[in-house]
Amino acid sequence: MHPFQYQRAESGDQAVAVVAKNPDAAFIAGGTSQVDLLKEGVHQPSLLVDVAGLPLRQITDFEGGVRIGANATNTEAAYYPAIQARYPAVSEALLAGASVQIRNMATMAGNPLQRTRCPYFRDLDQPCNKRTPGSGCAAIGGYNHVHALFGASAACVATHPSDLAVALSALDARVQTTGPRGSRTIAFPDLHRLPGTTPHLDTVLEHGELITSIDLPAFAGRSHYLKVRERASYAYALASCAVALEMDGAKIKRARIALGGVAHKPWRATPAEALLAGQQPTEKLFQAAAAAAFADAKPLEHNAYKIPMGRNLLVRALLETSGLQPLQGPAGTAFAASVGGMAGQVATPN
Amino acid sequence: MHNLVSALQPGDTVPNGPLPDGSTLFERRGRPIILAFAPTEWDPAQAHQSAIFARLSQEFGSGVAFAEAAPEAWHSLDYRGELAIHLGVAGQRALLLLDEEGVLRWKTVVEPGQDIRPGQVLAALQALRPEPLDAPDLAAASTEVLTGGMSRRTFVMATLAAAALLALPSVVAAAPETALPSPPPTDNRSAMLPVELNINGKSHRLQLDPRTALLDALRENLHLTGTKKGCDHGQCGACTVHLDGHSALSCLTLAVMAQGKAITTIEGLAKGDTLHPVQAAFIKHDAFQCGYCTPGQIMSASALLADQHTRHGSAVEIREAMSGNLCRCAAYPNIIAAIQEAQRA
Ligand SMILES: Cc1cc2nc3c(=O)[nH]c(=O)nc-3n(C[C@H](O)[C@H](O)[C@H](O)COP(=O)(O)OP(=O)(O)OC[C@H]3O[C@@H](n4cnc5c(N)ncnc54)[C@H](O)[C@@H]3O)c2cc1C
Ligand code: SF4
Ligand code: FES
Ligand code: FES
Repeated sequence: MHPFQYQRAESGDQAVAVVAKNPDAAFIAGGTSQVDLLKEGVHQPSLLVDVAGLPLRQITDFEGGVRIGANATNTEAAYYPAIQARYPAVSEALLAGASVQIRNMATMAGNPLQRTRCPYFRDLDQPCNKRTPGSGCAAIGGYNHVHALFGASAACVATHPSDLAVALSALDARVQTTGPRGSRTIAFPDLHRLPGTTPHLDTVLEHGELITSIDLPAFAGRSHYLKVRERASYAYALASCAVALEMDGAKIKRARIALGGVAHKPWRATPAEALLAGQQPTEKLFQAAAAAAFADAKPLEHNAYKIPMGRNLLVRALLETSGLQPLQGPAGTAFAASVGGMAGQVATPN
Repeated sequence: MHNLVSALQPGDTVPNGPLPDGSTLFERRGRPIILAFAPTEWDPAQAHQSAIFARLSQEFGSGVAFAEAAPEAWHSLDYRGELAIHLGVAGQRALLLLDEEGVLRWKTVVEPGQDIRPGQVLAALQALRPEPLDAPDLAAASTEVLTGGMSRRTFVMATLAAAALLALPSVVAAAPETALPSPPPTDNRSAMLPVELNINGKSHRLQLDPRTALLDALRENLHLTGTKKGCDHGQCGACTVHLDGHSALSCLTLAVMAQGKAITTIEGLAKGDTLHPVQAAFIKHDAFQCGYCTPGQIMSASALLADQHTRHGSAVEIREAMSGNLCRCAAYPNIIAAIQEAQRA
């Protein structure tokens, strides 16, 4: 690990000022991603500014929705009653991610800002444009079974690993920030970038821009998150999806779908969303929507399996969200979100 | 990974190695050579380094060049490349001077943003050119760099003195006292911090490098070795402790960041001679084989039972809540049975 100085932030503004003026400085909150990457030598900041103590931990009702402070832990947000009841996709994504210990440490701002799990990114002996711009991409032409189907570039084919981010994208959450150029609101689907020629930049945040809260807008529909992984628990998604449905009587008024594990950012399946609007939910319709969602998928050598997997996952998520099929566990828990493994075996619904 | 090869020290003959232009280090013998290692994403804002490197090349010999990402004339060797590994500087920004015979004369690992110390610069020069220099020479040199118009030799010294990136831990001790007066070190990134930790109800004051993980502070500094290191990367749960009553991974917690929290380790779980119900149940159900994962399992299980969201869980819910604790001996059925017993207690 490279040496660094450590500083506890005194205020949000002070944290922004300190990081903004030092190109080698970085924030740290829960530390579960940052410390790991420091140990790997992938991140080599000269200064860490600890924002975990800033008073940004409240979760409150806000404009008919919920405002989640940046420092609320993943556990706190997942079990917050209004979130678990009204935005189950968020709780499901959180509780199906990582482990209890990590969720107790991880913050709501840190989670969507975790870096890719592309194995080459963490291996300093491999070329990786995300870690070392201009060095090449070991995954293209390498073992790329966990890599992207959509929006990849010749520079990088990595996927974004956060489960939470997928749910927040489908719900059109808003990210509140304060940065060197003042405060702003970023629509969650615009937070992450596609790799293009600058894969070292994951998000549109400026250096030193601090997330202060993540806001869930008022939402009267149903939402759900579904995740497939290589083991029953404590693993990243191979593919996942979040669905938010608003109904108008028996018809779908508006559908929002974000796919996880398939792109450099949560991938909004807009063709499928358009196809569902105004329609009566049926399995056939959902099949068509899933086909539309993956029509433009561009598989790499080892990840074509994600196309049928993703399609089937999306069909099931739509069936479960619309109520045509029961959830496999209580809404808002890991058991509703997990495909296979431990799903459907809960004795005491929370 | 960085320590695979023990680092060469000044005075060592550098073994042969390939250079990116196809030549080898041995072929370059006969002239001093400067090797500069940097990440290929080197920040162009630090272009002053390239200027110094260019002047050094002119003075001492040919710099070895490589890296597409390089601005202008600045070239560096990829610090993740074969040669860097060979020279024991992999992953580190470093400058090395080799003399005509290929002997390492001077080596410095450059920390980002670190300031040069004039005494160190003199040592670098003298390592290669051991003619005595006196203080007035150097003082003049550093003035001249501001005014322009100077000899080649003083230019080199002056640019070096003005550079903002060199440090040479290994040679600095040998630097003659005639060096420019050293300003107070501007780099204290590794400086120890006073850290106060509240562990098992007792307060401990330590001096720690900010890089120290809570796990290492517990084990290495406080000799509380009940907490185990498995993966060191958040993937196994062996290092689980409680922070303010919640389970957390001590390997991914910087010790400085655990200040102000109530830290409980496996050593603090029993009340005197009375075991925690989970500990007793683990013994009763033989919930381990080698026992390495056991402290972490017990810390997770005891937190699970103290938490309203998981306390009453079914077997499958316990499994889900315990999934962050791997057991290589696969004692899982007994672990679940032990937790269920403690649940009833
Ligand atoms: C073994 C393991 C398994 C995991 N499995 C999963 C999984 O299945 N699903 C999943 O989604 N995640 C998983 N994770 C990732 C985990 O969820 C993230 O590491 C965590 O959410 C990051 O939050 P943090 O607060 O610890 O962030 P930190 O590590 O503190 O920071 C992460 C990044 O966010 C930045 N940052 C933090 N706070 C702010 C702020 N307020 N404003 C601006 N920038 C900020 C930091 O500078 C840093 O770049 C796993 C992690 C591990 C170690
Ligand atoms: S896919 Fe992206 S992160 Fe992975 S090696 Fe290529 S450039 Fe690096
Ligand atoms: S040592 Fe901390 S999780 Fe493995
Ligand atoms: S008892 Fe051996 S690893 Fe769990």
